[in-house]
Amino acid sequence: MQSWRQFLKENWFFLAVFVVLVLFPHLVGWLTESSPFGVLRGDRYIMRGESTLWQAILIESFALSVLVMSYNLMFGFTGVISFGHAMFFGLGGYIVGMLLEFPEFAGIDPALRLFIGLLLTIVICGVIGLGIGFASLRLRGVYFAIFTLAVAEMVWIYFSRFDRTNGEDGLTISQMPAWIDPSQNRLALYYVSFVIFVLTFIFIRRLVNSPTGAVFKAIRENEDRAQAIGYHTLRFKLMAITIAGMFAGIAGIIHAILQKSARPEFLNVKFTVDSLLMTIIGGVGTFTGPVIGSTGLYLLDNQLRDQVVTIGSTTIDIGDSWNLILGFIFVIVVLIFPYGVVGTYQRWRAGRKNKS
Amino acid sequence: MQAVKNNLLARNLRNSTWTTIAILAVALLIFAFVAADGNISTFSITVLSGLLRTMLLFLVAAGLSLIFGLMDILNFAQGAYFMIGAYIAYDIQHPERGFITFGAAIPDPNLRFLVGVIAAFGIGTILGFILERGLLRRLYDRPLFQLVLTFGVSIILLEGIKAIWGTTPYTWTETMSLMTGSFQVFEQPFSIYRLFIIVMGFILMVAVSLLLQRTRLGIIIRAGVEDPEMVSALGINVRAVFTLVFTLGCALAAFGGAIAAPFQGATISLGSTFLLASIAVIVLGGLGSFEGTAIASFLVGLAWAAMEQFSTRPEVATFWASVTPMLMLSLILLLRPRGLFGGER
Repeated sequence: MQSWRQFLKENWFFLAVFVVLVLFPHLVGWLTESSPFGVLRGDRYIMRGESTLWQAILIESFALSVLVMSYNLMFGFTGVISFGHAMFFGLGGYIVGMLLEFPEFAGIDPALRLFIGLLLTIVICGVIGLGIGFASLRLRGVYFAIFTLAVAEMVWIYFSRFDRTNGEDGLTISQMPAWIDPSQNRLALYYVSFVIFVLTFIFIRRLVNSPTGAVFKAIRENEDRAQAIGYHTLRFKLMAITIAGMFAGIAGIIHAILQKSARPEFLNVKFTVDSLLMTIIGGVGTFTGPVIGSTGLYLLDNQLRDQVVTIGSTTIDIGDSWNLILGFIFVIVVLIFPYGVVGTYQRWRAGRKNKS
Repeated sequence: MQAVKNNLLARNLRNSTWTTIAILAVALLIFAFVAADGNISTFSITVLSGLLRTMLLFLVAAGLSLIFGLMDILNFAQGAYFMIGAYIAYDIQHPERGFITFGAAIPDPNLRFLVGVIAAFGIGTILGFILERGLLRRLYDRPLFQLVLTFGVSIILLEGIKAIWGTTPYTWTETMSLMTGSFQVFEQPFSIYRLFIIVMGFILMVAVSLLLQRTRLGIIIRAGVEDPEMVSALGINVRAVFTLVFTLGCALAAFGGAIAAPFQGATISLGSTFLLASIAVIVLGGLGSFEGTAIASFLVGLAWAAMEQFSTRPEVATFWASVTPMLMLSLILLLRPRGLFGGER
């Protein structure tokens, strides 16, 4: 009884968010009087209305959050800076895309193919993560970061010229199983990605709070000392890289399913830089920071994209200057929130507690 | 005895660096020769375009390397400064396009080009100074955030360029006396202007290394690369040197963009193309080592040109050429984890 109360007290915030997110499509549907399933036309649903629109936005936020949380596991908790994270993200999308589209696999049931795609993504991303880790055993700090950047760039260039996935244009996924197709049954995809998001959050939290996580943090603070205590730091770093790669691949699958395509942009260094910046802005080495950073930035981007502001006689199309605003957000956040939004808030609260 | 041994060991290591470089260079030359089908005129053109590529890379990488070596900042905005230089030189040269019109007052295109290059250098200096003094200086104890900041600034600069000049690529149309001629290399034409870029790159390379090796400022910079705290303890204002080097680095990038503009015009994607390849170059050479950067840009430039020659199918050739910097970087890092000249850092 006591522990139950304790659990509630510590996690009431997460539980509240959980409940809100479970009810979210219906809440929006109820508030805007639109069905969360979309509009029925004949025997299938068309994705129209506020609720389905918001579902798409949230699915994308979940995918980005999983990506950024995995980046934070490596960068924020273990102190390994990688510039090649987008490779895992894009590979997840490409693996599922190729499995669903290539005629060689047409004989297999689409749902099964999706499942195989998930397993394959986890295995391949894990193996690549391990491989990169092993190959670059001796590299440290910036050298490791640039090495991963080099590998990821090569993969990106390869896929942007790979004929079978249409090179620059990318692969359009048309064989999507109907039950998860975002243009027919978006609510299912919403809940699937939500479950993945929640599981990732719990897994990473559990991992970081475990003895293994303690070693991760020790490596972040001082690798030589962690080694001197007797930990095989390399093994732990490999583990962090591998797990982060796996989760990034899963995030890539959600992203590809929502976009119904696998394009070379998914592999571009832009996603790496985004996850780095979102981690830093949210708060390095916090649990909620990456989620808040990625969701916040994505929502801002999405909401401001087609706004037009008129001040006096000048009209500013925010969509056109969104990148400019983004640049200023980076600069301002970096100058005002020295530990990221969540990190600064935690420090401020801890400081206030100490005073009283 | 121990000291002598250490000394010998150090010399061996140093020799092995040069051996590696020599082996690589010879291998690349042979590769370029094979790629040119043993044709001496194609081969010499390949080497010359390799040198051109080298200098273009070096113009961005030099500033990046100086800044990283001294201040441990990977300046993501460097590519944007390169672009600003290109746009300004372009705009002054072509008063009828763009928004700077005073270029029309100077009738001689050669003089206008000179003015354009000087203006680009000046504006690069001013913008670099503002970035260092106004923003970066507050973040010296938080290196990661400097990375984010320079990235944010690069976005702002890029958007500023888009707002001023638009997104349509500009190609250089005005002819100057430097651009008209070409000369023969084994019966193959090679334009004078490309040779001019190569020569300018060489001059810059020599000038910066003289600055580093032969002046008092150079000694301070090299000492600062080793140990900034110690330098500051000796009573030297390291912060001022930081500002100077950062400003110089940005100005060099703008200067590079300006002198490369007649050859490659002014486009939005210039910055990102050169930034990634230049990062590869400075890491390949060993972070913080200026000679490493110079030599690595030679190797990468040569490999790039040879790869472009290698296949007769253009799409295959461009693929290999664009992979080249990253491929070389990853291979060399596997052999030498700190790059060619990287010390214990």
